[in-house]
Amino acid sequence: MIEIENISKNYSRGETGLVAALKEASFTIAPGEFVVVQGASGCGKSTLLNILGCLDRPSAGSYRLDGKDVSRLSDKQLSQVRNAKIGFIFQSFNLLPRTTAVENVEVPMVYRDGRVDRKKAQSALERVGLGNRANHFAAELSGGEQQRVAVARALINNPALILADEPTGNLDLAAGTEIMRLLQTLHEEGRTIVLVTHDATIAAYAAREILLLDGVIVSDRSRNDSRVRKC
Amino acid sequence: MQTTKILFQALRTMGRYRMRTLLMMLGVLVGISSLAVLTAIGEGTKREMMQRFKNMIGTFDTIIVRPGGGSFRGMPTLVNVPATLKFEDAKAIANQLSEVKAVAQVQTAFDVDVKYRDRLASPAIFGVTANWLALRSEDVADGTFLAEEQNASLARVAIIGADVRKELFPDEDPLQKTIRIGDVPFQIIGLLRPRGAGPAGGSLDNLILIPVNTGARRLFNRDFLTMLLVQIKNPERGAEASDKVAALLRQRHHIQPPGLDDFTVTNPTATMAQVTRARNTLSKILTGVAAMALLIGGVVIMSLMSIAVSERRKEIGVRRSVGAARADIVIQFLLEAALVSLAGGIIGVLLGWSGMQLVTRILRLPQILVWQPFVLSILLSLGVGIAFGIYPAWSASKVDPIKALRS
Repeated sequence: MIEIENISKNYSRGETGLVAALKEASFTIAPGEFVVVQGASGCGKSTLLNILGCLDRPSAGSYRLDGKDVSRLSDKQLSQVRNAKIGFIFQSFNLLPRTTAVENVEVPMVYRDGRVDRKKAQSALERVGLGNRANHFAAELSGGEQQRVAVARALINNPALILADEPTGNLDLAAGTEIMRLLQTLHEEGRTIVLVTHDATIAAYAAREILLLDGVIVSDRSRNDSRVRKC
Repeated sequence: MQTTKILFQALRTMGRYRMRTLLMMLGVLVGISSLAVLTAIGEGTKREMMQRFKNMIGTFDTIIVRPGGGSFRGMPTLVNVPATLKFEDAKAIANQLSEVKAVAQVQTAFDVDVKYRDRLASPAIFGVTANWLALRSEDVADGTFLAEEQNASLARVAIIGADVRKELFPDEDPLQKTIRIGDVPFQIIGLLRPRGAGPAGGSLDNLILIPVNTGARRLFNRDFLTMLLVQIKNPERGAEASDKVAALLRQRHHIQPPGLDDFTVTNPTATMAQVTRARNTLSKILTGVAAMALLIGGVVIMSLMSIAVSERRKEIGVRRSVGAARADIVIQFLLEAALVSLAGGIIGVLLGWSGMQLVTRILRLPQILVWQPFVLSILLSLGVGIAFGIYPAWSASKVDPIKALRS
């Protein structure tokens, strides 16, 4: 599903020159894997997720998504990749304000072929248990409900890859557990899930854990065995 | 397809942010309504002027020849013109110039006493040839007009204007009645259709038409004319025909340069152009003012739209993350600006139109039925929206989705 090789990302910061957010990271994620990327804030995990999500392009290295090199695609092509293959879930939910739940779920359908299918959006909401909240505005929903709407939105175009950035960071324990259960169901359906977190209890849901420190992958191990694969 | 879907997203945003939409519309609305009204009034008065000119001179394919050179103001009459323009001149112009269709001979006298029983009026007396009616595209309301035989036989017949009828025959049928013009009896054979106001605003209906020969021999005892109406075949070549007429008259009057003309040839289209030019300047200034208002409306759209872009950074980020390309964002914001402006334009035009109807009705002005400026204004509002939406739309597409989503 994901093959990255020697990916680096540099930002220019004033006179101090380049700051490396990611240094020659390489790994492969097979289809259907549930991977957690862990690390302290500022370690480059968000940068990594943005590159994986085709929102950002690496400064160096190659990224193959579904066997296709996406590291040099145009804006239009990257947008199509995001639309068809990737579903995002953010820490701050990022629902559109003054827009109802079902309208939020419909947004990804605006940017692909075919019509905006209200029924499909409705059934996606039912999947996350919010069928009766479809016509509520985002502001009228609780945090957990908002994040479930965001999950429905991420699923609407049936992407193979779900990228979640601290999805439970703004939620209480019960709502967070609800979201993690949803992600687990998606994983069981065969979707690839990459989750970024600094929370060890959340990380426990994943079978594989990548640990980032200052832009470098310091460990990449499976949960089931304690054998640490050094990079 | 994609654009249609984005259009619906834009419409939804407009509906959900009503206050902002309203404010954006307001600027364009004011600009467009004033622009539409001012240009319509300008165009309307221009047409009104044209109509008044047409009332005065009849048709636009007529050249006017008057005796006397130099500048001359007002209506030429037998007492204020030199005796230089003869009947033979009129015949020569009619017969010798191929550009000329017809020539009407005119003798004019003002303030002649006209009596019917104990009633008295003092209208203008026009001695004319029978082709006068056709040449001025006028019409008789009742009775008949002069026949050329009546002119040849010096018949004492008269056709009266609406004002004369009102004064002399307030409750009588004037046809076949005999009136005294000066001291000469004339029989009324026809009534002229009312013509309304001339360019100066005065009535054009206070007159009596008689055969020009009858007037010359039996009433005024003058052998010269005060005016010739020369109808030309091709109205677009009026200037050329004017030159030909002038050349012929110079030849007939033995005028050689540097001698001065003893006649004046006027091309009414040229005169009218001169008069309307002053009006056009005024309406251009007014249009400029309205255009400034519209410009301000555009700037309002641009600034509110720019504020909206920074407020909606997160929305832009979300849309980008779910697959909107930069171009899609540009299209969405451009559509919003264009639609808001178009809506403002349509409402502005409707308001302007109804406001104008109200004002013309209250002030009892003539109806101005000019719709072109209103249609143009609507198109213009769309243009303003697109023009002033380009910058905000472009800056919306430049929003970095990563930063926008993290905030």
